[in-house]
Amino acid sequence: MNTYIATFFMHFGAIRYQKMCKALGYEAVAMPVPRDLSSSCGTCVKYNAPQVLMDEAHDEIEQIVECTDEGYRLLYKAADC
Amino acid sequence: MTSAKKDKVIIIVAGLIIGVIATLLVVAGNPKNMGFCIACFIRDTAGGLGLHRAAPVQYIRPEIIGIVIGAFVCALAKKEFSPRGGSAPMTRFTLAFCAMIGCLMFLGCPFRMVLRMAGGDLNALVGFVGFIAGILVGVVFLKKGFSLKRTYKMNTSEGVILPVVEVVLFALLLAAPAFIFFSEEGAGPGAMHANVWLSLFAGLIVGALAQRTRLCMVGGIRDVVLFKESRLLLGFAAIFASALIVNLILGFVNFGFTEQPVAYNDGLWNFLGLFLVGFACCLLGGCPLRQLVMSGEGNVDSAVVVLGLLLGAAFCHNFGLASSGEGPTPAGKIAVIAAIVVVALIGLVNSRKKEA
Repeated sequence: MNTYIATFFMHFGAIRYQKMCKALGYEAVAMPVPRDLSSSCGTCVKYNAPQVLMDEAHDEIEQIVECTDEGYRLLYKAADC
Repeated sequence: MTSAKKDKVIIIVAGLIIGVIATLLVVAGNPKNMGFCIACFIRDTAGGLGLHRAAPVQYIRPEIIGIVIGAFVCALAKKEFSPRGGSAPMTRFTLAFCAMIGCLMFLGCPFRMVLRMAGGDLNALVGFVGFIAGILVGVVFLKKGFSLKRTYKMNTSEGVILPVVEVVLFALLLAAPAFIFFSEEGAGPGAMHANVWLSLFAGLIVGALAQRTRLCMVGGIRDVVLFKESRLLLGFAAIFASALIVNLILGFVNFGFTEQPVAYNDGLWNFLGLFLVGFACCLLGGCPLRQLVMSGEGNVDSAVVVLGLLLGAAFCHNFGLASSGEGPTPAGKIAVIAAIVVVALIGLVNSRKKEA
């Protein structure tokens, strides 16, 4: 299992994503975006899964990073952000 | 130390420093319990520019300029300057306008609410309860799917305009041409201010600290309710603690409801004023201080919010909506009720029909 953090343009997108993670059986927590990840103060979802999860409404996702021992590894970033 | 713990220590230290700075600005000449007040200072700036003609509150406040520039420089230095915008600008403008009506009903933004409480003003405690209630209502809308839609990347020039405007305002303050207004000595709060350069320096420090920590009065309570996350609230508490201690040392504390500086003791309207501010700012995603900081980071939506606050302040004084030490005005009471309805309508219109 890997740990990922997904950030969103809107709070609502985060809550929907968290529900999707849980529906797929993965542990997921909604929380404020960590300061060392962004200066924005939105909501993110931290989850454990074998691979990155993208839902059908992934246009609400701003970025997804993998949490590694070396720090955050950027895996996805939306265009125009 | 884990990253989360380190973040908490940093925001507590930042809050302690900000509380001390705010109190020392009073020693240097700012009105009592008003070392900082984003709403009052934007209102004073509106007066300084002649957007309203309330003679007691006209002065281009360098603290506001400093906060935006401090956040701007800090964001640039940390490669966090990111011009973005396009998220419901008119709706944000309207919410900001409404928030200012609430601030000028209470006579202070959430930042001044903390400073008033630290000065012993128990009316601010009543306001604080209203503020929490407003945020709780805002959180209900967030849970029901309230959204002002996403932001988009913008040209660098878009994000730089507000910081540049702030520099121009500072030049106008220093040059003091005939078309810039200054409250005359003894006229009121606008005439009470620290040295220009000291005020600017204080603003720069607060802007930089707030940018690094994402300090936000609304976010502090919202995050506790939504996520049981206390980090931002600790910054809030630290400002209160240090301002209270410095006030006690300086003999500035006067516990009670009456004879409080730039305040009145009508509990209902203190409550409703900050209820409106908490509600509107929760939907905006941040308190007025946070909006200034985000505008310095290149957030054009926040810059629009700052303009909404500015115009809201001008309207409040032009139409007799702003309270005074005597109490709220009849027009102000009507405006607060109307603004609560407007914010609720904005909340409803922008919420999804189904929960997530």
